[in-house]
Amino acid sequence: MNGIPQALDALPILGMLFQLVGYVLSNLGYMSQTTVAVAVPITLAALCGVMCERSGVVNIGIEGTMLAAAFIGWIVGVAASALFGVGTPLPLFGVTLPLLLGLAAAILVGMVVSLLHAWLAISMKVDQIISGTIINIGAAGITGYLYTLVASQAPTGAGSFAQYKVPGQVADLPLVGWLINAVLSQGPIGLSTIVIVIMLQIMLFRSRWGLRTRAAGEHPRAAETVGIDVIRLRYRNVVMSGALAALGGAWLSMEQTNGFNADMTAGRGFIGLAAMIVGRWTPLGAFGAALLFASATGLSTSLQISPPAGDLGQLMGHVPGEFWEALPYIITIVVLAGVIGRSIAPAADGKPYERESAT
Amino acid sequence: MTGKLRIAFSLLAAVVIAGACSSSGATSAPSGSSLKIGVVTDVGSVTDHTFNEYSYEGAKAAATALGATINVAVPADASDYSKDIQSFVDDKYNIIVTVGFNLGDATITAAKANPNIWFVAVDVAPCVDPTGAPDDTFACAGDAATLLPKLIGIQFEEDQAGYLAGIVAAAVSTSGVIGQIGGIDNNPAVVRYMQGFQLGAASYNPNIQVKTAWFSNGDLTKAYGDPVFGKTFSTQFIAQQGVDVVFQVAGSTGNGALDAACAAGIYGIGVDVDEYLTYPSADRCLVTSAEKNVSAAVNQTVTAIAGKTAKGGISKFNAANNGVGYAPLSENTLVTYPSDLQGKLDTALAAMKSGTLPTCPAQCGTWSGQ
Repeated sequence: MNGIPQALDALPILGMLFQLVGYVLSNLGYMSQTTVAVAVPITLAALCGVMCERSGVVNIGIEGTMLAAAFIGWIVGVAASALFGVGTPLPLFGVTLPLLLGLAAAILVGMVVSLLHAWLAISMKVDQIISGTIINIGAAGITGYLYTLVASQAPTGAGSFAQYKVPGQVADLPLVGWLINAVLSQGPIGLSTIVIVIMLQIMLFRSRWGLRTRAAGEHPRAAETVGIDVIRLRYRNVVMSGALAALGGAWLSMEQTNGFNADMTAGRGFIGLAAMIVGRWTPLGAFGAALLFASATGLSTSLQISPPAGDLGQLMGHVPGEFWEALPYIITIVVLAGVIGRSIAPAADGKPYERESAT
Repeated sequence: MTGKLRIAFSLLAAVVIAGACSSSGATSAPSGSSLKIGVVTDVGSVTDHTFNEYSYEGAKAAATALGATINVAVPADASDYSKDIQSFVDDKYNIIVTVGFNLGDATITAAKANPNIWFVAVDVAPCVDPTGAPDDTFACAGDAATLLPKLIGIQFEEDQAGYLAGIVAAAVSTSGVIGQIGGIDNNPAVVRYMQGFQLGAASYNPNIQVKTAWFSNGDLTKAYGDPVFGKTFSTQFIAQQGVDVVFQVAGSTGNGALDAACAAGIYGIGVDVDEYLTYPSADRCLVTSAEKNVSAAVNQTVTAIAGKTAKGGISKFNAANNGVGYAPLSENTLVTYPSDLQGKLDTALAAMKSGTLPTCPAQCGTWSGQ
């Protein structure tokens, strides 16, 4: 029985590939959990992008929005736990009052920052790339500075939301147990991300709001002639999308870790934009792309922790870590170049809408 | 087209943000001294609750006592090391403290170019060629102490601290499988901690299995400055290797490892400082920390320079001069410490002080995949 795989592994080059497949299969359970976790903030950033761009507003300020939300969520948690005490966490997800207040504050800030972007982009008709860049630079600078002010006291935060623990019997199910375990072993933000992806996919393509959003993004003038208020719709979408980016930020500081760090988003907002493009501006596609990008992290983590034996291990040991980090961008460039199908942005994406003046 | 443009702009924005984060803040000093002390930290932040912060604290304490001016620069990434050191040189600083092994080459180069300025390189054993330039081949043919008489490399015997942490880890482990995660395997200080940890664990329980992993093989931010990545990586490490104690040797990325240990319901061991005090969110699962007294070492060295008693070369800190040790065993976790643990720690520490306990293998500071 064992003879065949060994013979396959001994083949030059192709054998290495077989070894890699075998290695991935045997470590799939561990990798998938990392993959799903890493994909959460990328997915939320991508969904934020989808909501904005489908209605015709480019938002590259997602990174900054996430960072602002991560900081405010954490600092409000710190303040609230100092004021009201941390209290006893609920058995489900370890929810406490300070955590909930922090999460609410994070979402609010995400929406406020996005409102700023909406005002600049839609009303002031500023170049939307510039507006997003302002948000990114501003958020990094302001949160970094404020963090330096408070961090020297090493304040205790509100902690973090706890993971759902998949029951042992379910996790041990043959064939599917590892997958269920990987998908469900998450905190409330991670779990709701999956729900949001499905909901947004249905709403964007099956609801009145979705149709109007797509119309505003493809041909706003036509949308306006049938009575859709394009300006208002864009405002609403951009502000709502801020809540999604904020969830991504809150995940960083309140679910995955329990503290803030300067620049803790570390480019996740930008990778989210790449996931949006690779996923062709659809929620499900973006989620898939985020999972694809995150699986590079899962695989590279596994290779670091327990490298495969033999030639494959030697070869993988020589792959620099930067390769895995660059992979999402390389995939994005390949997709944009049209190598794997075409990815086309909404037609009116990034173009400020000018109402026809009544003459 | 717009899509391609967008990526270009995104990358541009990322670069701009990274640049915008290189910051510096000045603390004014009482007049009376013309001494100016500049601190260049490693990437991350000056409030990282570990290395950068405590080096700066030490320099600040010395500056306050001396009435000197002190200023700190936090490089945005490795390419800013030389630039940030040079800015202190240009501003006529008398003492420049650089924090961490990664700044070693930049510090040596600056010390060679500016023989009148004192340089204090934390965690660096200056390795120079016969001309006094940094030697990347590690032949170290030149004598740094005579070629660069105003460069002091502060070195700790981290293996001693790691050894003590290893004893604690082996004592609280029930499975007999424990783990350690370091930043990058090129940093001798990090490696010494981990080599000491292995020996210490084995001294308590000869059958212990110590699993080792590295956060990165080159990216400094990932290795030492990204707790979110640290958490996901360590969660997978704990599951994949089945360890029940994790020793982190990776700055703030490693704090993510402590979070992962807490979430997984196992024990964590902190590094460099007493993380029970500096990283309270891991208190419920932290048993101890392998400590080095960075703050006191920098303070003493800077004070010695100001008092004109300092000499160039390597300045060693170890158990004998209380330069390294372990943090008090935490009472906050559910762990019950074996009754023989404290005795074994005391014996080991005493043996280290008298110099009779080997805590590092022959290739101390060089990782060869043990």
